[in-house]
Amino acid sequence: MALLELKGVSRHFGGVRAVDGLDLAVEPGQVFGLIGPNGSGKSTTVNLVAGLFPLTAGAIAFEGRSLEALPTHLRLQAGIARTFQNIRLFGQLSVWQNLWVAQNSPEDRARHGFLARWLGGQSGARDEILPLLEFSGLAHKRDELASNLSFGEQRRLELARAMATRPKLLLLDEPAAGMNSEEVGQLRERILSLRGRGVTILLVEHVMELVMGVTDRIAVLNFGQKIAEGTPAEIQADPAVRKAYLGGEAA
Amino acid sequence: MLDFLQALSDGVLFGATYALIGIGFTLVFGVMHKINMAYGAASVGGAYCGLLVLQVMAGAPPLVVFFCAFLAGGLLGWLVYLTCFHFIPITNPLATLMATVGMLLLIDEIIVHTTAGMPMAYPAMFDDVMLRVGEFTLRGDLMMVFAVSVLCMAGLLALLYRTRLGLATRAVSQQTVAALLCGIRVGQVNATTFVVTGLLGGIAGAMIGASVGTLSPLLTTPLTVKGLIVTVIGGLGSVPGAIIAGLMVGGFESVLQLYRGVTERDLYVMLLLFVFLVFRPGGLFAAKGGRD
Repeated sequence: MALLELKGVSRHFGGVRAVDGLDLAVEPGQVFGLIGPNGSGKSTTVNLVAGLFPLTAGAIAFEGRSLEALPTHLRLQAGIARTFQNIRLFGQLSVWQNLWVAQNSPEDRARHGFLARWLGGQSGARDEILPLLEFSGLAHKRDELASNLSFGEQRRLELARAMATRPKLLLLDEPAAGMNSEEVGQLRERILSLRGRGVTILLVEHVMELVMGVTDRIAVLNFGQKIAEGTPAEIQADPAVRKAYLGGEAA
Repeated sequence: MLDFLQALSDGVLFGATYALIGIGFTLVFGVMHKINMAYGAASVGGAYCGLLVLQVMAGAPPLVVFFCAFLAGGLLGWLVYLTCFHFIPITNPLATLMATVGMLLLIDEIIVHTTAGMPMAYPAMFDDVMLRVGEFTLRGDLMMVFAVSVLCMAGLLALLYRTRLGLATRAVSQQTVAALLCGIRVGQVNATTFVVTGLLGGIAGAMIGASVGTLSPLLTTPLTVKGLIVTVIGGLGSVPGAIIAGLMVGGFESVLQLYRGVTERDLYVMLLLFVFLVFRPGGLFAAKGGRD
């Protein structure tokens, strides 16, 4: 059974069909790439899965259950986390606090009583946060305010913060935007390491070097519709994809 | 010179209550980007509820009255949240504002009708204590007001900066969407903010009653105005700003009352606000960051 399944999903903004009858199936453990030209509906798809706005038509199922009735913060409880294309950290909180405040998974909720959880100090969560700091390479900056981090560090922190929610499915919205090729290489290692831990990833990305290097399967969107799906090699050879990207006639 | 110092110190001590009211306005604004116009009235209402204890238990110690005002303030805060924010479309900027103005008038009316509009005596503590340094005196009741207010502020700051609840509150105020997607229940955080500010308001109302000696329904409007002035001077959304601005406005109005009389006093407070709006519209501490 697919972990995430979209059936005939549509989202219209006024007359604009941002996403139009999209079918997708992401299997557990996969790194699934979602690519397409600007405005093709990739980010909208991510926002629909994250529950930022309702569907116009269609259905989304996660682990076989419909997500429709699930409000945004409960989708996280179900195991869906995301990062943003434009970074949205809690700028006036420290690196440590950004991770601490994101620990809202059912396991974390169950571990402490209400009062201990909300009024207890920060030291209680050490065992969970230290590995995340190591993972993101920010251990030496744990007390720095998030807004004082460099761009690359902020992206790493955002990924770590998403991991702090213990997701089964991680939605990455253009994680490599604005990165140099060395940083893209590191990001690739991190994504592969997450995959090794069994996290399923839906990756929206323009940087083909990253997409082709980490994904198991790719779907290509254009004008809100899926025009191709397959392995990275199949996608690279697909004439419809070349046409959408290059604009001209397929070679 | 001595008169000046005396007026200033009395004013700054009393200003701690303005600081609490300012914090209430500023916290709600920081978290929801909304003004809760009912806050001043709810604070006075909380203080009145504290007096109910004396009905049930005649001769109850002032501390019990204050504590009940504190709890009643929190309950009123939650009621204001429920009636003016929870069921009101939050995206419409005017809807919640008008709802809270309505709530301000409603609370005001309820107080007027239940007390027949007459001022009621409010208990105080240490009102027979005087610290004297030569001609200069420090009133015991004002020092108690100041101490209780500072204690509440310290408690609030510890809550905001040391606990996960406080961090979640700050996270919501900095990035609401990201907070939602980190699993923070924004609705709960908003409601909690109203309860916490309500608790502070209840104690502020009680402290005003204790230092003035009476509570009157005439208090709600000026307190609302002072609270908003403190909030703007401190910088919308800034808790430290509200604290400093509260003490400053308290001292300022007390000194002007000394030189210009009680009738002209508020005029100069408005003038102070005007000066700030012209020369430093962001307030003492313009809010850092903010949403998006």
